[in-house]
Amino acid sequence: MSEPHGKAPQIDPVTGYGTTGHDWNGIHELNTPFPKIVIWALVLTFVYSLIAWVLLPAWPVGRDYTRGILGLDQHEMALERLQKLETGRTEWLSRFKTEYFAALQADAALMARAMPAAERLFLDNCAACHGNDATGGPGFPALNDHSWLWGGDPDVIAETLHVGINAPNDDTRWAQMPAFDWLERSEMTALAEYVSALPQGTADANAPAATLFADNCSACHGETGAGGLANGAPSLTDGAVIYGQDPDTVMQTLRHGRQGVMPAWADRLSEAEINLLAIYVADLSGNKTEPGE
Amino acid sequence: MSPASTLSRSERQIGFGLAVALALLGLVMAAGAGHGVMAVHGTMALALGMLLVFRVGGAFYDPQPDADRLNRYYDAPTRFGITMTLIWAIIGMGVGVWVAALLYWPEATPAVPWTSFGRLRPVHTTGVIFGFGGNALIATSYYVLQRTSRTRLADSISPWFVLIGFNLFCAWAVTGYVMGSTQSKEYAEPEWYADLWLVVVWVVYFTLYIRTLARRHEPHIYVANWYYMAFILVVAMLHIVNNLALPVSFGAADSFTIWAGVQDAMIQWWYGHNAVAFFLTAGFLGMLYYFLPVRSGRPIWSYRLSIVSFWGIVFFYIWVGSHHLHYTALPYWVQTLGMTFSVMLLVPSWASAGNAIATLNGAWHKVRDDATLRFMFVAAVFYGLSTFEGSFLAIRPVNSLSHYTDWTVGHVHSGTLGWVAMIIFGAVYTLVPNISGRDTMAWPRAIEWHFWLAVGGTLVYVIALWNAGITQGLMWRAYDENGALSYSFVESVRAMAPYYLLRTLGGAMFLTGAILCALNCWATYRLTPLAQTPRDRPLGLQPAE
Amino acid sequence: MLKLHYNLEKLSMGLVAGIIVAASIGGIVEIAPLFVIDETVSMPEDMRPHTPLELAGREIYIREGCYACHSQMVRSLADELDRYGPYSLAAESAYDHPMLWGSKRTGPDLARLGEKYSDAWHSAHLIDPRSVVPASIMPSYPWLVRPLDTQMLSAQLGTLARLGVPYDPEMVSAAVADAQGQSRPESDAADAVRDRYGADVAVRAFDGDASLLTEMDALVAYLQSLGRLTDAAYGNLAGEIE
Ligand code: HEC
Ligand code: HEC
Ligand code: HEC
Ligand code: HEM
Ligand code: HEM
Ligand SMILES: [Ca+2]
Ligand SMILES: [Ca+2]
Ligand SMILES: [Cu+2]
Repeated sequence: MSEPHGKAPQIDPVTGYGTTGHDWNGIHELNTPFPKIVIWALVLTFVYSLIAWVLLPAWPVGRDYTRGILGLDQHEMALERLQKLETGRTEWLSRFKTEYFAALQADAALMARAMPAAERLFLDNCAACHGNDATGGPGFPALNDHSWLWGGDPDVIAETLHVGINAPNDDTRWAQMPAFDWLERSEMTALAEYVSALPQGTADANAPAATLFADNCSACHGETGAGGLANGAPSLTDGAVIYGQDPDTVMQTLRHGRQGVMPAWADRLSEAEINLLAIYVADLSGNKTEPGE
Repeated sequence: MSPASTLSRSERQIGFGLAVALALLGLVMAAGAGHGVMAVHGTMALALGMLLVFRVGGAFYDPQPDADRLNRYYDAPTRFGITMTLIWAIIGMGVGVWVAALLYWPEATPAVPWTSFGRLRPVHTTGVIFGFGGNALIATSYYVLQRTSRTRLADSISPWFVLIGFNLFCAWAVTGYVMGSTQSKEYAEPEWYADLWLVVVWVVYFTLYIRTLARRHEPHIYVANWYYMAFILVVAMLHIVNNLALPVSFGAADSFTIWAGVQDAMIQWWYGHNAVAFFLTAGFLGMLYYFLPVRSGRPIWSYRLSIVSFWGIVFFYIWVGSHHLHYTALPYWVQTLGMTFSVMLLVPSWASAGNAIATLNGAWHKVRDDATLRFMFVAAVFYGLSTFEGSFLAIRPVNSLSHYTDWTVGHVHSGTLGWVAMIIFGAVYTLVPNISGRDTMAWPRAIEWHFWLAVGGTLVYVIALWNAGITQGLMWRAYDENGALSYSFVESVRAMAPYYLLRTLGGAMFLTGAILCALNCWATYRLTPLAQTPRDRPLGLQPAE
Repeated sequence: MLKLHYNLEKLSMGLVAGIIVAASIGGIVEIAPLFVIDETVSMPEDMRPHTPLELAGREIYIREGCYACHSQMVRSLADELDRYGPYSLAAESAYDHPMLWGSKRTGPDLARLGEKYSDAWHSAHLIDPRSVVPASIMPSYPWLVRPLDTQMLSAQLGTLARLGVPYDPEMVSAAVADAQGQSRPESDAADAVRDRYGADVAVRAFDGDASLLTEMDALVAYLQSLGRLTDAAYGNLAGEIE
């Protein structure tokens, strides 16, 4: 380091160290001794690394790698933690797998524990279609009313959740509103008018459209259109709508038919979670079972 | 002064030839592709080639520069590069503020394809990293290389080729994204022909660098140049390997990267992290190592520390890319290596930051009074902060919280705003007066304003996103006392709104400062040079190597 | 040491060589073994490549930059398994050029998205996310209703085949017909798709209109395939999730 060139090393008045003698366009460097703390920091971080390498999978060796003496596997660790979490909640959650809905609903303490979990499950899985507040939206039924396609009892709901409706699942519930595009245009308009008047009760029961309805629709929607046949066809009289019951929307329905899809959840949610959700959904319509009832 | 007038007649001939070649290349691309993004890009190259044909052709018979020019530093390319730096600063950060606003107010701009968040985000990242950062690196590297070697650039054509070619690459990249052309690899999104073009540009850049170094009149190569060389070399290596791709057709902007799945992920983040290391760090350390001592008038605190931190950074950084893939399908052993090397990397990183800050010993009064030097000081501090944060985030359990959240984005911007952008502004305010033959910028007070806008904007941005990211990470993993997840995903989205708004404001402050800088530089460029007072050492006489 | 460096820094090519060596080691040690250690990727029997329609959707996903907000990588962390489903396997993206693991979750992870929602929901959501999720900050993509450009599809499959994705020559030449067929459940071409890619492939009018093949068809087909190219990941969780 003593070999000078350009300029002779000079002593820097501020630090007291000498310069190296280099000079690049006026830039000099001090020949400050190597700070010990940097060495120590290097040693420290190296020791940290060394420990990690010994304990954990770390270095590739040929077609294999060192496993570390802890023998850790990130997948197994995650599964173990998940299992621990699940054990933490089995105490209350597993009851949803084994007990009757009525008993579960009647247990106020249990419901208080479970409903926040149900709400989170609903928000992450169902709210996208049925809305945060379960009020539904165009194409997706409300779940907070008393109008059901298949039924609002927890066990029916649980079945719906398991298999879905028109879902790619072998046992799915099947519900199709056929297209009536073969009807005369005038017949379709008349039907549309008729159906859109059903909720107000102002539909003319003697109109030709009423005959058309009885001939074509009542098989699924019931004689008066009140539904309730548990075949997936909604009531057309209760004011609750999926797609809309104004004449234009009904025309669309008649022309193209409908086949709403509700996904099946059996592969994604556990049995207990599905039952939990079923109770949550059943309670949404407000006829909450009062504790102790 | 037109750039062409700095060239001799024979250089103008070469330049003219290259411009014609570029126009032809563009024509072939446009004709070969017929339609689509590649045709647009061909047309852009054609138009640029034609423009250059007219610029160089138009000045062809202008008086030649005096023969003495070879005894002066060649700063016209640096001047152009700084102009492009500032233009890209405004484009890149402008789009940054735009996409920040979109996350708060998703319907702020009409739902047409090219204003969509997913297309604009890479316009932002490419615009700032490559456009703003890249031009600043190239422009300052020319400046620093010449002065620390006391020699003129090896020739007068290749500096222009590199800058113009690089900016064509950037322009292809960002226009490609808005038209929907991207390889989707973060920070390497441009399509295959742009990637190839960048290789050509880079080879010329490296050759220019080496040829100029070979003519230096100082026996030793200054640290700044070690860093600039590491930047050039390693970026070339990363770029080539990560971008290996098979085009679907030679007439379309469409290709598949040859890597797949887990190997692709590792190669992508080997690249991605080292784009940070060698683009956003090594090159800028070169900048710091030159402009900080020059501006403060202080010697580098420790030559020995410079050596260790340089080799530490070059060696350790390459190992750490896997810290972007903790807990993923990448094998655990690679994650362990990424984590441990990230921790060791902190030592050379802090050694560099410490070396810079210790250099200011004896010049603290200048830091107080000179906003330009303060930019560099703050840059060194944020360099220390963001590398500490980086090493911390690289620890697996910490990363389990921070990964995928806005904490990462906060870390990114403490690095890019606090370190990269600040050191660029410090360098710009130092060199622009110098190459304009002035002692100061045109509006010295505006530097002060810029400084406070930049620091304020950075702090607002970074603090907001630390809060955002930690909140997000905690919400995703929160369990209630009954052992069930507490929050749905959408609740975490909703919780981000105030932070996203603050970030937009912080970004707008930072952008305002950058615009002020651009105007200030423009005003300075327009001032008439003062009578030559020797500002730099004259060129040396004898090559050293 | 210092003396050595003192001399090294006088040689530009010496520095160049030093930098290249120092900066190569880490990459080689970490990357090369990923190609030779068998355990890195264990390919399940039932793993299939994307169908042409899904592939076209993937290209749209890339084009629109969905990866900027969505990851496709469930990490090995208990809360992620709880929220999203089984952790992602290396095999699941083994045919992905490039992978789309992502680095930011402005929106949720999508690795297990397939068949979580209905096609109709996806269309509605993509056209206007706030119509179904009022708090969403995802952009609207109303232009996806335009017809799908299938011109490059065969060439794309061909290119991927050259990179080792198991597309046989028949799949390559039938790419366009398969894309059409997958979105027309009643057509003969639909059966051909199932023959080539497996009975589990979703064959539906994804955008609700079988008569016109749109970008929406492609993107929704892709989204519905996420996490469904193999069942292997679910096997790992079996017994755990109950
Ligand atoms: C992709 C959209 C979508 C998602 C997600 C969804 N559903 Fe549905 N759901 C529907 C549609 C559509 C229907 C009506 C099907 C029809 O039109 O025949 C429905 C019907 C139902 C029904 C039957 C209502 C009745 O009247 O019988 C219940 C109960 C239900 N959903 C609950 C849920 C729950 C609980 C979840 C979350 C685990 C959920 N849904 C998620 C779309 C969805
Ligand atoms: C084969 C059984 C079947 C027949 C016959 C049938 N429907 Fe339906 N209808 C359904 C089903 C199932 C749905 C629910 C479809 C869905 O949710 O996707 C439905 C839905 C509707 C709706 C939409 C209700 C809403 O809330 O938006 C209207 C309106 C309707 N049907 C009218 C008619 C009329 C009018 C006829 C006779 C011309 C008719 N349906 C015949 C099964 C039937
Ligand atoms: C600006 C960020 C952003 C971009 C870009 C974006 N998304 Fe999203 N995405 C979100 C957010 C936030 C949510 C959660 C709210 C919601 O469901 O809309 C979401 C939700 C989703 C969901 C529902 C996932 C679930 O499990 O609930 C799907 C599917 C989806 N996005 C697909 C896409 C596709 C496909 C693209 C590109 C064409 C895209 N996203 C682009 C932000 C984005
Ligand atoms: C005006 C100032 C800026 C604003 C408002 C801004 C805003 C943003 C926004 C909104 C994002 C997207 C984050 C997300 O997807 O959630 C982003 C990403 C990014 N920005 Fe900036 N930015 C600014 C300046 C810069 C600068 C100067 C640089 C680099 C020199 C930079 C580099 C990046 C990078 C690398 C990312 C990607 C981060 C990641 O993928 O994790 N930004 N920025
Ligand atoms: C010791 C130095 C550093 C280390 C160890 C480090 C480490 C990290 C880590 C762990 C992440 C998060 C990865 C993830 O979870 O996805 C990250 C992201 C990032 N860092 Fe750093 N960092 C360092 C310095 C810097 C600096 C100085 C900058 C900028 C100038 C920077 C820019 C970035 C960028 C752009 C990303 C985002 C990458 C992406 O996801 O797109 N880092 N860094
Ligand atoms: Ca690329
Ligand atoms: Ca990222
Ligand atoms: Cu990194």
